[in-house]
Amino acid sequence: MTPTRLRSSDRSTVTMPNPIPDTTDGLRITPRQREVIFQTRDLTVSYGERPAVRDVNLDIHAHEITALIGPSGCGKSTLIRTFNRMNDLIPTARVQGSVLYRGTDLYAHDVDPVEVRRRIGMVFQKPNPFPKSIRENIAFGLKVNGISDDIDDRVEAALKGAALWDEVKGDLEKSALAMSGGQQQRLCIARAIAVAPDVILMDEPCSALDPIATARIEDLMQQLKTRFTIVIVTHNMQQAARVSDRTAFLTAEVDEDGDARCGVLVEYTQTKTLFTTPADPRTEAYITGRFG
Amino acid sequence: MEARLQYHEQLRRVEAHIQAMGDAAQGLFSKAINAVVRDDAGLAERVIAGDDVIDEYYNRSEERIMRLLALQAPVAGDLRLLTALLHINFHLERIGDMAVNLAKIGKLAHDLPRSQTVATQLEEMGGIALRMIGAAMDSFARRDVDLARSLPDMDDPLDKLNKGMLQEVLRIAEDKRMLEWGIRMHVVSRQIERVGDHAVDIAEQVAFVVTGEVGIFSGPDNPVNVKLP
Repeated sequence: MTPTRLRSSDRSTVTMPNPIPDTTDGLRITPRQREVIFQTRDLTVSYGERPAVRDVNLDIHAHEITALIGPSGCGKSTLIRTFNRMNDLIPTARVQGSVLYRGTDLYAHDVDPVEVRRRIGMVFQKPNPFPKSIRENIAFGLKVNGISDDIDDRVEAALKGAALWDEVKGDLEKSALAMSGGQQQRLCIARAIAVAPDVILMDEPCSALDPIATARIEDLMQQLKTRFTIVIVTHNMQQAARVSDRTAFLTAEVDEDGDARCGVLVEYTQTKTLFTTPADPRTEAYITGRFG
Repeated sequence: MEARLQYHEQLRRVEAHIQAMGDAAQGLFSKAINAVVRDDAGLAERVIAGDDVIDEYYNRSEERIMRLLALQAPVAGDLRLLTALLHINFHLERIGDMAVNLAKIGKLAHDLPRSQTVATQLEEMGGIALRMIGAAMDSFARRDVDLARSLPDMDDPLDKLNKGMLQEVLRIAEDKRMLEWGIRMHVVSRQIERVGDHAVDIAEQVAFVVTGEVGIFSGPDNPVNVKLP
């Protein structure tokens, strides 16, 4: 495979491998065999002097859905944002340790965060379509990424990939803001996949949606994982249990003075194991509601 | 701070309900043994009628467990507990049915010529089976895996006595007047042996609740355990 490059116009060039090709359809690949996409090693993320999450070591595997769960303040959103350098946008944020993406340090000085975010897309809690037409919402991202050919075909492919095409194919010039919440979220997913990312990060993507729209997104995630690697933060433990292959449970530990909380990774394993026979009593206590 | 307090209270209640069912099943089975061994037809009638209580326990337990599964989405230890309760509920209901079988056989064998040796042996078997039910339910209440693992050992003499029962029946049947009673008591022996097996199955559920392992007890020194995938 010819490697692609994360180019930075004013900096040196870092060679990154291409995303793995879509060859897993129909194959039964056990989790143990899957390629590692992200590796965090002794990862600590701080805002100012205060760590939000510390000493995280975990591997994210290709073509799996990895769920991050835990109580408020455990650092799960902070953690997911390290995977596409979204924390760079927060001036006081500081990352220690390492986040390797396909073996390359995402935080190396010569890695272009814009290219990182193209490879590693993100879908947020609240659908955030542009105040433009459905078509433009997808075409805009393509154009920004220098893609100008076959726009209509790419728009159609992205909408089909997000299971939205049949609902909107006759209304592509309609404002995205006129869509339902569930449709808007799938449009955001279509926008993310239109630029051919490797990974899709989802930060509570269904928390603003009704159960039917949530179910559609969850079905869509199962389809998408054959083409992409997905990491999802969710407050809904049943959603994590339903959709994910592996689950990481984080909790917030209070420091000795009792005035600061910091997230730590407690347990990371296959979802079916975590929800039937968790190894750590803190996991058991949290998922059964005996958290204390 | 603990959350989902009502849910956890409901879990405690359904487990207490199953423990009460265990006491009831044990009591019914004890009476059934006495009805057969003492040739007490009146007691046999009361055992048959008493199974309605076990069935009511069974239906209520299943209803409560299904409701918790449907409404509370239990996971981890709670999920293992509820699936184990479903199994234990079934085993206790079957023990109740076997008590009824014993009572019905006791009625059929009423006033037939009998052997005190066989009756004593059945009483001994019944005592072992009762202690096994008690130990299984006690291991469940205390989440005592070591006690649960001792059940196959307790079952061994029961199996041996059951196997020996055929020879004993053939021996007494040399007196043809005892043939019918002997044949019926051989069935009683088999029923008591099956109650022991149900107690072992309950103990397996205890091991599952505590460890998450699906256990097939082949003996205390050689348990065959299959790790959950």
